[in-house]
Amino acid sequence: MDQASGAVKRTEVARRIADELAGCGVKLVASLPDNWISELLVHLEGDQRFRHVPVNREESAIGLCAGAYMAGLGSAAVMGASGFMTCIYAITKINYSYEIPLLLVMTLRGAFGDHHKHHISNGLYLQPVLQAIDLPYVIVSRAEELGEIGRAYKHSRTFARPTAVLLTRELLR
Amino acid sequence: MKYLDCFRFLAARRTDELVVTSAGNSGQAWWAATRDSERSFYLDASMSLSTMFASGLAAALPQKRVWAFMGDGAFCMNPGMLMVERQMNLPNLVHLLVSNRAYGATSNAPLPNVEANDYVAIARGCGLSRAHKFASVAELERGFDAAVEKGHSFVVLEVEPFSAEEQKLEQPPFDGPEMKYRFARALERDTGVSVIGYRL
Repeated sequence: MDQASGAVKRTEVARRIADELAGCGVKLVASLPDNWISELLVHLEGDQRFRHVPVNREESAIGLCAGAYMAGLGSAAVMGASGFMTCIYAITKINYSYEIPLLLVMTLRGAFGDHHKHHISNGLYLQPVLQAIDLPYVIVSRAEELGEIGRAYKHSRTFARPTAVLLTRELLR
Repeated sequence: MKYLDCFRFLAARRTDELVVTSAGNSGQAWWAATRDSERSFYLDASMSLSTMFASGLAAALPQKRVWAFMGDGAFCMNPGMLMVERQMNLPNLVHLLVSNRAYGATSNAPLPNVEANDYVAIARGCGLSRAHKFASVAELERGFDAAVEKGHSFVVLEVEPFSAEEQKLEQPPFDGPEMKYRFARALERDTGVSVIGYRL
């Protein structure tokens, strides 16, 4: 894929992710960046369907989305895999203790196709950590699978705990 | 000022504000002062996230005032929250920083840089112009109402750490899910919003 067509594809994927979020009632998105989701965050910032809140650290996104839920406002936390790994305390203390739903959208760093060596830790431990805390997740590798975002959001409401959608390099490049 | 005297003053001043307490002594003190089990969310073990939680409430409910307590121990863990608060600029949010100059929930263990920390200056450095400090009940009586009257406000409450006897005050006696449902159902009744997704 050349640079131009890659940029078009990333923009289209960002738009479709935003459409999925809006379609399940998300109105507030808290985020921290990851290079793989740069286009998505730019799109969210300009999309009038959302209040996009760039936060100072990923745990703040967890707190902000929990409060939004408790007042009936649909929300999602968007972040990189490394950021998620800093959130285990906040998620288990707030979302698990109080049974507060949350949709997490994050990157699947460290998997096949990620050439950054500093994400080896995520390749080794991201999915084992999700499994260790019994956090249901789905991996989305193709645009045709983005409907999983809505399903994960709805399941978080049924499950009364967080669910996660992990976006791959194949989807986001 | 005495921690509990401060909280009794605030409880008397409260009208219909939603309240979020932080991990540690603020939950004990607010429970002792109010026994409120519906319009206060006791966010135990939140470690620095009470005002982010309150910001979510305030963003969702612009018609409601929201007070959020946070100890200075929690504040030290995540002072960057003020950047997010300033950016959101929620006019219905009051951040009440309870400065007891100690990790109150863990037997008043020492806080880093305790003598020099100037929380009002930190807040102003993040662009919060409505930053105030109160060190006595008399000061609160003179200035609290004006400090929180309008706009996003940051209020530092300089209090004495809990005594050994006060540390024994009852913790808010709620399991997490009960807290969630009590708060959510009251909010649904008061405002008409749908939180849980089904009505009883």
